Amino acid sequence: MTLLSLQTLFIAFFGVAGVAFGVAVFRTASMMRSALALLFSQTALGAMFLAMQAEFLGVLQIMMMATEMSIMAIFMVMFMMDPGGLGEMEMTHQKRLSIFAGIAGALATAGIALFTEWGAVSATAPDAALQVRELGTELLGRSMLIFETAGVTILTAMIAATAVAMPALARKKPA
Amino acid sequence: MNSLMVILFLLIGAYLVAVLESWLTNGRLHFMAPAWSALSLLGSESVVPRKPDRLFFETAPVLLLMAALLAAAVLPLGPTGGIADLATGALFINAALAYVLVALLMAGWGPNGAYGLVGGWRFLGQTIAYSMLIVMPLTGVAMRAESLLNTDIVLSQQVVWNVIYQPLGFALFFIASLAVSFLPPFDLPTAKGDLAGGVEAEYTGPRRGVFRLARMVLVVSLATATTVFYLGGWLGPVLPPWAWSAIKILVVASAMLLTGHFLPRIREADLLAWCWKLGIPLALLNLLVVGIVILI
Repeated sequence: MTLLSLQTLFIAFFGVAGVAFGVAVFRTASMMRSALALLFSQTALGAMFLAMQAEFLGVLQIMMMATEMSIMAIFMVMFMMDPGGLGEMEMTHQKRLSIFAGIAGALATAGIALFTEWGAVSATAPDAALQVRELGTELLGRSMLIFETAGVTILTAMIAATAVAMPALARKKPA
Repeated sequence: MNSLMVILFLLIGAYLVAVLESWLTNGRLHFMAPAWSALSLLGSESVVPRKPDRLFFETAPVLLLMAALLAAAVLPLGPTGGIADLATGALFINAALAYVLVALLMAGWGPNGAYGLVGGWRFLGQTIAYSMLIVMPLTGVAMRAESLLNTDIVLSQQVVWNVIYQPLGFALFFIASLAVSFLPPFDLPTAKGDLAGGVEAEYTGPRRGVFRLARMVLVVSLATATTVFYLGGWLGPVLPPWAWSAIKILVVASAMLLTGHFLPRIREADLLAWCWKLGIPLALLNLLVVGIVILI
């Protein structure tokens, strides 16, 4: 088996795994399982990046999602009435709309994938270390303003959200 | 060095760390103590609690072990590198360590017990406290090496080790690595005497054995990371590279265990307050200082 077809096989495998975990998110009633299924779906996407030889993006995706989805899990547990899913509560709603939106979204994505002119497919990916360097040059060069603006905006939002969430009067620390 | 050698190295390291831990706990140096306790764990009944989330309950100890092993896989023990010398090595170790959190959340949620649950969520708060103190000091290390390759990071320390070049970063990374491996004074998720073992509380028999082993491997992985990033890795005179790695890793692991031995357990809220109000500004200061030193 040539390297390229083996690579395709891995990409397909992680793609299918990503979709399967994505389906699992909605098949379970446990909020914890749901959150972690979404995490592993995203991890599978990270593995797809790795299989496509985009090492930096893959590792970054795998790293970021672990913390993000875990934090999401605690919010899901806090805000749902039956976080363990043991009470057999109906957790879904607006089913018709969801099905329609899901199918429309899938068709639109497939359409974009099929009908966009992607240009020539490069046979070899650049060396991983070179990718890191080029990404760094891009982030600190041409795209610096965009990323810095986004970063400062997110930071401001975080500080503002914390300030809003804090009680008006500073409470005394418990002994 | 091939993969088997690295795994053997890690297992021996984990065993020695377990010996050290039992020495600190019991006050007696007993080289066979971890072996006997492992045998007793393997031989004892492994109880499954009532109505567990079986999938998480079974996966958690194995995932913890995997995360610790993957973190160690990219760390070089000699000039030829470790199991893999990735172009994103210094980033990859963060990715692997992030799954320690996932494993502990699973271990907390899985057994359907109150102590475990509290322990698991506590570790989530702990992660929010320490994670920047892992990533930001590493950025300083990568800045000096101008590379994310861990072998390049070691080679960048040929003249001066990073512990002298960026002592602030070293101090922060050391503290954060205690928090990642939930060693005292940051043993909030297990918290003996407070949570009765927390995330470990419901695990018995071989499952607990795997959990303990994973924790020890995690300590060795973090000691290796500290050695590679701050103590010049395998560099040193006379002795062969692997011996220098081994000596430094053992010294760091001992320091990690000893530090916790003399400190009281920190409160969750204090940990968050100190890490965010003091730790992160210091980490940013470290980056600034390193940047200036590199430029002049």
